[in-house]
Amino acid sequence: MAPTPPYVELHCHSAYSFLDGVSLPDELIRSASELGHAALALTDHNSVSGSMELAQVAADYGVRAIHGAEIDVTTASGRGAPSGRGARGCHLTLLVRDERGWRNLCRILTRAHEHTRDGPGRRVLGEPSVALETVLDHAEGLVCLTGCAGRSALGAAASDGGESPIATGRRLLDAFGAEHLRVELQRPYARGDRARNRTLAALAGRLGVACVASGDVHAHARSRAELQDAFVAVRNHTTLDASEPLRRGNASHVMTTPQAMARRFADNPEAVRETLLLAERLTFDLTHDLGYRYPGAEDATAERKLGELCGARLRERYVGHTALAEAQARLTQELNVIDKLGLAGFFLLHHEMLELSREVAREVRGPDSVRALLAPGRGRGSSVSSLVCYLIGLSHIDPIANKLTLGRFLHEDLRGLPDIDLDFPRDIREKLIPRVHERFGTDRAALVAAFPTFRARGAIRELGKVLGLPPGEIERAARGAERYGPAEHDVGIDADPDFGARGRAPEREAMPSGSDGDRAQRTNGVRGSERWRWLERLVEEAYGLPRHLSQHSGGMIVATRPLIDCCPVVPAAMEGRQMVQWDKDSCSDAGFLKIDLLGLGMLSAVERCVETIAHTRAERVDLSRIDFDDKPTFEAISEADTVGVFQIESRAQMQSLRRTRPQNLDDLAIQVAIIRPGPIQGGAVNPYIERRRRLREDPAYEIPYDHPALEPVLRDTLGTIIFQDQVMEVAEAFAGFTPGEADGLRRAMSRKRSLQVLQRHRDRFVRGALAHAEADLETAQRVWQMIEGFAGFGFPKAHSAAFGLLAYQSTWLRVHYGPEFLCALLNEQPMGFYAPDSLVHEAELRGIAIRRLDVNVSDVECTVEDGGVRLGLGYVKDVADAEMRELVDERARGGRFGSLGELAGRIGARRRTFEQLAWSGACDGIIATPTRRDHRPLDETARRTALWQLGMAPPGERAAEGTQLALPLGLPAAPRLRSLGRWQRLIADYATSGVTIGDHAMAILRERLSVPMLATSAQLGRLPSGGAVAMAGLVIARQRPGTANGTMFLLFEDEFGTVNLIVSRAVYERHRHLARAEPLLLARGVLERSEGVVNLIVRELAALERFVVGGVDDAVRRDGAARIHRLPAPEAPSPLERDEREEAIEVGSSMRAVAPPIQSFAMGRRR
Amino acid sequence: MASAASVLLNLPRPARVRTGPGGAPVGVNGQAIELVRESWLVEDRWWTTPSLRRRYWEVVTESGRNVVVFHDLCAGAWFVQGS
Repeated sequence: MAPTPPYVELHCHSAYSFLDGVSLPDELIRSASELGHAALALTDHNSVSGSMELAQVAADYGVRAIHGAEIDVTTASGRGAPSGRGARGCHLTLLVRDERGWRNLCRILTRAHEHTRDGPGRRVLGEPSVALETVLDHAEGLVCLTGCAGRSALGAAASDGGESPIATGRRLLDAFGAEHLRVELQRPYARGDRARNRTLAALAGRLGVACVASGDVHAHARSRAELQDAFVAVRNHTTLDASEPLRRGNASHVMTTPQAMARRFADNPEAVRETLLLAERLTFDLTHDLGYRYPGAEDATAERKLGELCGARLRERYVGHTALAEAQARLTQELNVIDKLGLAGFFLLHHEMLELSREVAREVRGPDSVRALLAPGRGRGSSVSSLVCYLIGLSHIDPIANKLTLGRFLHEDLRGLPDIDLDFPRDIREKLIPRVHERFGTDRAALVAAFPTFRARGAIRELGKVLGLPPGEIERAARGAERYGPAEHDVGIDADPDFGARGRAPEREAMPSGSDGDRAQRTNGVRGSERWRWLERLVEEAYGLPRHLSQHSGGMIVATRPLIDCCPVVPAAMEGRQMVQWDKDSCSDAGFLKIDLLGLGMLSAVERCVETIAHTRAERVDLSRIDFDDKPTFEAISEADTVGVFQIESRAQMQSLRRTRPQNLDDLAIQVAIIRPGPIQGGAVNPYIERRRRLREDPAYEIPYDHPALEPVLRDTLGTIIFQDQVMEVAEAFAGFTPGEADGLRRAMSRKRSLQVLQRHRDRFVRGALAHAEADLETAQRVWQMIEGFAGFGFPKAHSAAFGLLAYQSTWLRVHYGPEFLCALLNEQPMGFYAPDSLVHEAELRGIAIRRLDVNVSDVECTVEDGGVRLGLGYVKDVADAEMRELVDERARGGRFGSLGELAGRIGARRRTFEQLAWSGACDGIIATPTRRDHRPLDETARRTALWQLGMAPPGERAAEGTQLALPLGLPAAPRLRSLGRWQRLIADYATSGVTIGDHAMAILRERLSVPMLATSAQLGRLPSGGAVAMAGLVIARQRPGTANGTMFLLFEDEFGTVNLIVSRAVYERHRHLARAEPLLLARGVLERSEGVVNLIVRELAALERFVVGGVDDAVRRDGAARIHRLPAPEAPSPLERDEREEAIEVGSSMRAVAPPIQSFAMGRRR
Repeated sequence: MASAASVLLNLPRPARVRTGPGGAPVGVNGQAIELVRESWLVEDRWWTTPSLRRRYWEVVTESGRNVVVFHDLCAGAWFVQGS
């Protein structure tokens, strides 16, 4: 047996100390294990956010986890709370002995954060701190160390202006007793260490308590030490050069061996020994006995109540139905499992929650709304597979009819609580969350936390700043960086041909470009390039570390006892909301019941849509009773005519739709699941598509299964693993896993922190496959690879069924009620894959009339008008919604605005608002001919005239009592103003509303392009596959998924439609800047067409502006025709040509400034 | 002999230092060291060239003078700082 290590680290910070700690709990434990530590205490600043993670991984590495926190304390009453970590006040290190101690620590931390959101609008996060009295009142079960070297409770700083160190010490002694109070000694190798420790030791002597050594660890490895210095500068909003006095000045905060720590305190061996003695008494184990119970858990009658409820509903739904017997058997089975697990109360709780949501929905929707036909929310995730959930209304998918197995959701050796996710329209969700707080008590309900992590772009910006790099260069580097993707692949600080001072570390992959160290040195000098190298390294180290505490999108925890006894609860940024300090993984490990109340934009959109249909056509649409075999709908899906619908609208989905050609809801469930990292990495996509095609051509085609045991579980997906539950089913059927083991495998796969754990399942799987299915080793390994590949992320089948249904319903609405559906989408933005501009262009191509903004017609939101859609004034940028609301209300009260003077006089808006309205064209209708409606051709000078005249109008003045309106005086007539060309109008549209109607940018530019033989998207279908093609267009989506090996996909739009561009890694590296940022491009490449899918394989990209001859507007119209096909002069242009070129370049820069936002994979798709 | 400027500006001056076990100084500029009062470590300015890596010692010499010396861990040389 290894000798007991001589030291236990009792003071250690993780990255959950936010900018004062640079390692994850997982990394700390791993290092501790490697360095020979037997135990490790985590003591983050005012937080236990990392504790559960520590507890979970500690067991895996044979290191015992000790829990605690370092808290900010104000010692003397009457002294204000510290305003920053650098301010006065002191630290105490609290360590948990037992359950009472944990409870007290949670209460202390809750109090410490109580007032962190007291500022205006709850925006600014205050520094947590707690009065010493609070700590003294909650001393039971805790051990108190007197705090770190710089901020010790017994240090000189703490006593400054307050009580003396000895007085503070005595108060601590009274509360904790000599048994549980230790004077903390640290040796950070700073000047004054010895003197301070001598003073502290003397104080300890006077108090009669022992001293204990601690290391104040902030990093798990030396390689992170620099990041800690950088974080100090980030935290203090300064640079590394300027923050010298604030940082530690050496790397003594890096974890080291117990032996080295013992040597560090060679002059005080007692304090070292004390770490061991103390650690022995800190036995609290977070993985047991948190004491959490969900409401209903203790209800002895819950089983009976649930049985009665389900029985009654079952009779309503299935009596007289062929599936009655099956449903009854299934219900009995489910109720048995539920009883065994003691979960009846859990389901009743959800039922209660759903009733609550019905109540909220009635209030939000109003009693007469057609929306009342829709359920207030719907199940997502695996709960959809449960009959009990279906019967009590949690799910709207009939699991019997849809052949959903219960597996993942409920099984007898379930350890945690099953997940239940509920999707709600956004407006209902907004009201429901505070209502749940009210219903269960603010101390018993809280949201789940989330930790946004450092991503490449943010890290480059923050760390570039502390390195003192030029702001412009930092911004360029940040924009050029990948938004997403793990740091080890590419943080993107590298070399663009035109991208000056970047040096790449020598061991990194060389870029095929002209920029390297030489160039960097030329432009910025050696010192500059060194800092860039450091930036790259720091960004890599910081990547993935939690940046701050935030709120999960909708997970709620409810409990029977105050939650603050289980986990600290802190105020969230939104009024009336609070959250626990744990994220969803930690909550799940804690066994907390988590209910996800998610806002789903598409649910809101379809609700809006049915409401609009009721208004415009007086038809009541009940989406649960529409024809689910509607031919036109499936035709649209098979033709990928799906822009704007749920899930199956993305570029990748549309490509696959033409090949899979879904024919029913089951196919759609597979379809929504297939374009996910899991099936993609697991290699399921191509075999599925191929087998589907063969089956379509030859119904007798036999699906090849890797092993006969797989057939029953993979039949529906043609032998491939597409759903997450199939992973479990394969593990059970093929490798003989119990449902509990299979669930363990699933959990290992779905978590961010458990790649190692997954490996452990591998051996079990392969062994099981040999024994259980008598498979050979090769097959067993091949099947495991499918599973392992799936580890990325995949949908459960039930979830896919729910999403597939919504995909169908939204397509059905789009097919049959095009204008209403578009209108709903435009009003629910942001959501989905496409920007409003793209939705509008696509709708125009389908023949839906889109009408301009007009102050005399438009509502705040978009509206359906004569079978078309009128844009809403809410689309005008930089104006307050309230102002637009006022405008519309005033128009309703006082009638149309007859003149600009009247407009300015009747509404009290800011000048900027009038400018934006004028420039957007919304005032065109009241220029010059105020009595006519807007059916006349647009006056080319209208916008400038409106801008000029509104500039002369005195705007209404805002006063406390309301708006003092100006007199509606007549405005002077505008002088003769230049007319606005088509291009300028387009730029003005984008600048003011982000949407342009009528002319597409390419329609304006095409006739002025100097490139011969340009193809349009409309022609691609007729051009030969394999032929060379050049195309020009506007980039509307840009994706570089992690699953595509560096390939970038661009969705290109011209005036006829869209086409998919595939930019290989090599081409991408050559044209990185263009591919990432340029809105208008010329692409040359090879056309590829198969199974109705058209792609352009790009060989070369160029900015389109280089090929625009002459100006795009009036000048060209007058005399440009002759020059259209002339190439721009390659060099030394004549003065005249130079002017033209400059104008042409304006095409690009004007567009770059206003280009509509594009979908980016990395932004995360909003649903 | 140190220049006046380096004394005024408190710049480090090269020193002759004898070391004992563990690298601790036992003599500086010919004077034996009576007592080590404190030792600390500076590892900083890593983002610049040259970066800073110094082990400092605050010692009392046999003549009773308080002296701060440091060992430059990059260059390997010893310096005395302050008077």
